[in-house]
Amino acid sequence: MKDDEINDGSVENPGSSRRGFLKQSSALAALAMTPPAALTAVEKGLDEKLAVAFEQIPLKVEINGAMQQLKIEPRVTLLDLLREQLNLTGTKKGCDYGQCGACTVHVDGQRVNACLTLAMTTDGCKVTTIEGLAEGGPEGKLHPMQEAFIKHDGFQCGYCTPGQIMSAVACIREGHAKNPDEIREYMSGNICRCGAYSNIVDAIMDVKQGGAKV
Amino acid sequence: MNQFQYMRVTNPKAAVAAVSKDNTTMFLAGGTNLIDLMKRGVEAPEKLVDITRIPLNTIEKTATGLRIGALAKNTAVAEHELVVKNFPLLSMALNAGASPQLRNMATIGGNMMQRTRCSYFYDTALPCNKREPGSGCGAIGGYNRMHAIFGTSTKCIAVHPSDMCIALVALDATVNVSGPKGDRRIPFADFHRLPGDTPQKDNMLQPGELIMSVDLPMNGFAGNSHYLKVRDRASYAFALVSVGVGLKMSGNTIQDVRLAMGGVAHKPWRLTEAEKFLKGKPATEATFKQAAELAMKGAKGHGENDFKLTMAPNSIVEALKTAAKTA
Amino acid sequence: MTKDTKNPPIDRVDGRMKVTGGAKYFAEFEMPNTTYCVIVGSEIAKGAIASLDTKKAAGAPGVLGVFTHQNMPPIPGWDAPVQGNGNGPPPGPPSGGEKYRILHTNKILFYGQPMAMVVADTFERATYAASLVKATYTKQPHQTDLTKNLEKGVTPKGPRFEDYLRGNADAYKSAPVTLEVKYTIPIEVHQPMELHGVLAGWTGDDKVMVYAKTQGVKGTQKSVAEAFKIDPNNVHVHTEFMGGGFGMGLRTWPQEIAVVAIAKKVGRPVKLVITRNQMFSLVGHRPTTVQTINMGADTNGKLVGLSHAATGETATYEDFTEGTVSMTKFMYACPNVSTKYKIVPLDRGVPIWMRGPGEATGAFALESAMDEMATKLKLDPIEFRLRNYTETDPEHNRPYSDKNLKEAYQKGAEAIGWSSRKAEPGSNRDSDWLVGYGMSSGTFNASKGGATARAVLNADGTLLLQCSVTDIGPGTGTAMTMIAHNVLGVPVEKIKVEYGDSALPNSPQQGGSTITSTVGSAVHQVCTSVKKSLIDMATQSGTPLAGIKADDLTVADGFVSADGDSSKKVAIADLLKKANLTTLDKTEESKANGKPDEQKYSMYSFSVHFVQVRVNPSTGVVRVSKAVSVADSGRIISPKTAASQMIGGVAGGIGMALTEEAVIDHRFGRIVNNNLADYHVAVSADVPHTETIVIDKPDPYINPMGAKGMGEIALIGFAAAVANAVFNATGQRIRDLPITPDKLLRTA
Repeated sequence: MKDDEINDGSVENPGSSRRGFLKQSSALAALAMTPPAALTAVEKGLDEKLAVAFEQIPLKVEINGAMQQLKIEPRVTLLDLLREQLNLTGTKKGCDYGQCGACTVHVDGQRVNACLTLAMTTDGCKVTTIEGLAEGGPEGKLHPMQEAFIKHDGFQCGYCTPGQIMSAVACIREGHAKNPDEIREYMSGNICRCGAYSNIVDAIMDVKQGGAKV
Repeated sequence: MNQFQYMRVTNPKAAVAAVSKDNTTMFLAGGTNLIDLMKRGVEAPEKLVDITRIPLNTIEKTATGLRIGALAKNTAVAEHELVVKNFPLLSMALNAGASPQLRNMATIGGNMMQRTRCSYFYDTALPCNKREPGSGCGAIGGYNRMHAIFGTSTKCIAVHPSDMCIALVALDATVNVSGPKGDRRIPFADFHRLPGDTPQKDNMLQPGELIMSVDLPMNGFAGNSHYLKVRDRASYAFALVSVGVGLKMSGNTIQDVRLAMGGVAHKPWRLTEAEKFLKGKPATEATFKQAAELAMKGAKGHGENDFKLTMAPNSIVEALKTAAKTA
Repeated sequence: MTKDTKNPPIDRVDGRMKVTGGAKYFAEFEMPNTTYCVIVGSEIAKGAIASLDTKKAAGAPGVLGVFTHQNMPPIPGWDAPVQGNGNGPPPGPPSGGEKYRILHTNKILFYGQPMAMVVADTFERATYAASLVKATYTKQPHQTDLTKNLEKGVTPKGPRFEDYLRGNADAYKSAPVTLEVKYTIPIEVHQPMELHGVLAGWTGDDKVMVYAKTQGVKGTQKSVAEAFKIDPNNVHVHTEFMGGGFGMGLRTWPQEIAVVAIAKKVGRPVKLVITRNQMFSLVGHRPTTVQTINMGADTNGKLVGLSHAATGETATYEDFTEGTVSMTKFMYACPNVSTKYKIVPLDRGVPIWMRGPGEATGAFALESAMDEMATKLKLDPIEFRLRNYTETDPEHNRPYSDKNLKEAYQKGAEAIGWSSRKAEPGSNRDSDWLVGYGMSSGTFNASKGGATARAVLNADGTLLLQCSVTDIGPGTGTAMTMIAHNVLGVPVEKIKVEYGDSALPNSPQQGGSTITSTVGSAVHQVCTSVKKSLIDMATQSGTPLAGIKADDLTVADGFVSADGDSSKKVAIADLLKKANLTTLDKTEESKANGKPDEQKYSMYSFSVHFVQVRVNPSTGVVRVSKAVSVADSGRIISPKTAASQMIGGVAGGIGMALTEEAVIDHRFGRIVNNNLADYHVAVSADVPHTETIVIDKPDPYINPMGAKGMGEIALIGFAAAVANAVFNATGQRIRDLPITPDKLLRTA
């Protein structure tokens, strides 16, 4: 079966990797998004730099309220996109394998691990990072959860903190902050090696009981 | 990670067509396991077909029970009112797995497809017949504290890591798949396989087949269900041993029962013998112990995991006690 | 300021930066044209690289270089002739210096040792290219199992590690009640949440900017300067925020130096962030250690004799040592004490001090043994400790500068509800769970090193404090602020602290619970100096305060005023104006206290840990259900951050006691659970609400604040409290950490 046969509109090929592209005899989906001149160049194996262009494909994603129109390699994770390309370094790389929660962000309102999220899969989504949590931006008024983390000293080194806070906000929004035990369970996807858990639980309970809008 | 081609599909037919073409193309759903494996170099697909935009995430009543779309997220299923009410065992098992973040990403189909967490499978410098057939099994004679005590082979002693699948096998689920040769239904108990001589094959899916949904028949276990997960830390850890129980009680008599174990085999391990024994028996610790003994027939330790020969039957008794509310 | 006053809790001064994502860690600084470096590690534990195929990697898209022992750019400080074999010993100082060099020879000394470093224009490309490097090896048999090599133990050089004897070493043998027990701890790994690495770029032929993950910017500065034989002033090292260290940042690792060299070669900044897997092999660990305790007591519960022997692992290329048996020498009144400490070289990466270091390892053995002996004597464990309590240090025959351990025992016991403990193990049941209580004590040397601080008091009443110290998390900046506030009365919110940069005044590295004492003393001294100048200026003739003695004056809130007569005051702004100054700018060096052995007093911090555990006897699962930690560490400077250190010790201690173990498959010499899914650090659900208590009494001798460190004591002893509680709950004594369910089921 060839690409054109399955491309009844249900296949969206936002670009084609160079390797895959060169392999395919019939690459209609890729053609649609590839400048003809570049195509020729690549087919003749002329220009590595032009070839590189094929490995980057378009991504449109709203991050912290701002629409981003990007071109990225499909293997780029949301975490590396934020940190290495958009300079949104508040989201942390702790393990890169979904084992620590330091990279927790919200995608369409759900907390997820950015390290295991291919950035391409967020096309058309809304991403919120720690930098976009407070309405007034990083210099403005803090989000109640940020205030509570300071008040209860819910951190030491601060590295897991953005992930903890993104997770904590989600924890309340999801309705999983009814009591300290439930919070402990629903915050267990965020490792804090400094061991600030006890204070983090206090901070979340405080926000929950305070009734502020999160 | 190698460079790969990424494409997005919006219907199952296109997905199946795209993946059937060659064995270097894979489906991408939640990605919580596949992306991890790609980062470690265990998987290196040349094409990824993103299926997350296919509308397969509904959870709906059917004439005989419940149908859960393969792309429904673990969280959505665990918290769905029909699941909580009718299949609390599934809800409990899902909530015992991974972390809230991962459950928000992971799909039901993907959960079924996750690979073993055996250290030797993950470390590409070490032997593993599952990753590289013929290279040997590092876990035999090595670090095997997490490994299987049932249904192992000389080629592989890995376990299937899922919690959800323990509930599904206990609840008599059926998997609906769609493939290049059409649609078919696979009883959940037959979906995963034992390692035998081909541990590289985790399940019975044919190339290009896509999991569409899972069917759960209605049952009478909602009132007396329990999922017990024994692990090294209190949360966010794979099971040493887990037990899923559903009981249908009549007074103190067990009318019907479903029992399955996790962390003990290459597939979710249904305890049929123990179920048969328990039917019609009173819910007492004594009968639970006898059932556990039956369940352990054929179990074999591999050194570091010998403790499971004690932990597993004890856990069966614990879980039964909790489910029967005799604890 | 009066040091007899308890300090109020203040918010962490860098809190806002940390909760907004504004705090920048090393890998987050922007340097134009940054390239990405990925390490390829060896797949064997011992031998040599036979061949290294880098062609594919070098040709992969975006790759700027693949560096191996065959083409590594020169590092003059590495290439200087050295004594011994090709792998060392090293040039450079013991702390912060190189002891082994990477990409230098084809020799493989441990699994994971860097064999190649791949540099590309993006992280993804560097990572992929690294996967294309292929090696073949000439393997040699390796030794990675400490328990099979104990006979190779050697006593390390240096007076701290010599065999110790007081009285008769064999006295315990003839005591009425004796105990001979063996304890082991596995390899534990620091695993701070921030991955290790470095970002370096040359800004001139002999000038380099280094964003590091180090517990001491000055140490890193020195290492880099020596490696490249350049002026230390040309090496700018910055680590304002560090995402946890726990000891792994107490030296410069060879990959950091290699990155600096590669950055020079490629002519662009290079960023290395190692993987979580590599965090298990490239940046040290707590060594696996085997210990034996022999103890004898009389029937009145008095210790007759005590001996403690410990053997820990080190690398083949470098000696690693720590104070595993230190506590045994001075903790209890016992006339006959002997200790022995040995290390065994293994084909492993070298360990490095991990929180509490050897003392935490040793305290697990000693404080477990104290509990075992108390059981034999049918004594309450607290009572047994009280019967052997000592007010003077029996090792040095001198008083402690400050010790309030009795009060700590009492307060902790009350808080945990010790009276609910049942003496008979296994007799306290709550439905299906067994309940147990345990306690232990910990101690760590308290000292004051040398440091320099700068204080700049501005006419607007704001104060700037500077010191190069790093703050890896305990709240050093917050403590500095509090100390300055106490001396100068400047409101906390008007004090700015700058730290973690090599351009700032000298500080030792953050480690060993010394920084509050050391840097705090420098801050205290420089602020006192500023205060003296202000008072001198304020009391000059013709001013309202003329003739009033300094002791009768207070500096606070922008004024110098007379005690008891608030109408007599002078604004600091006016004083500066009058003296034609815009700022009062002072830098002062505070001297170290000198060697511990030369002091009149023995200075230690102490801690007591209490836990309640619940054990499920069918599954072997242990949960810590309550925890109380008491710190006796002098005056508490910053109560809030101090409490956080203590609760952090509890979380770390729960991990040490119940879950943490890096497992080597000795057939391959590799750690097989080298990730955070399989190496279990405690998660939130493992940690109960934790109560911390501070004695908060100033140590009269250590420093002007009366403050002692608490980073180590927060952890030291905790694991023993859990093991003792598990025994109390079940009657099962686990002497082999961690106390995992399988061990309880095995011994059941």
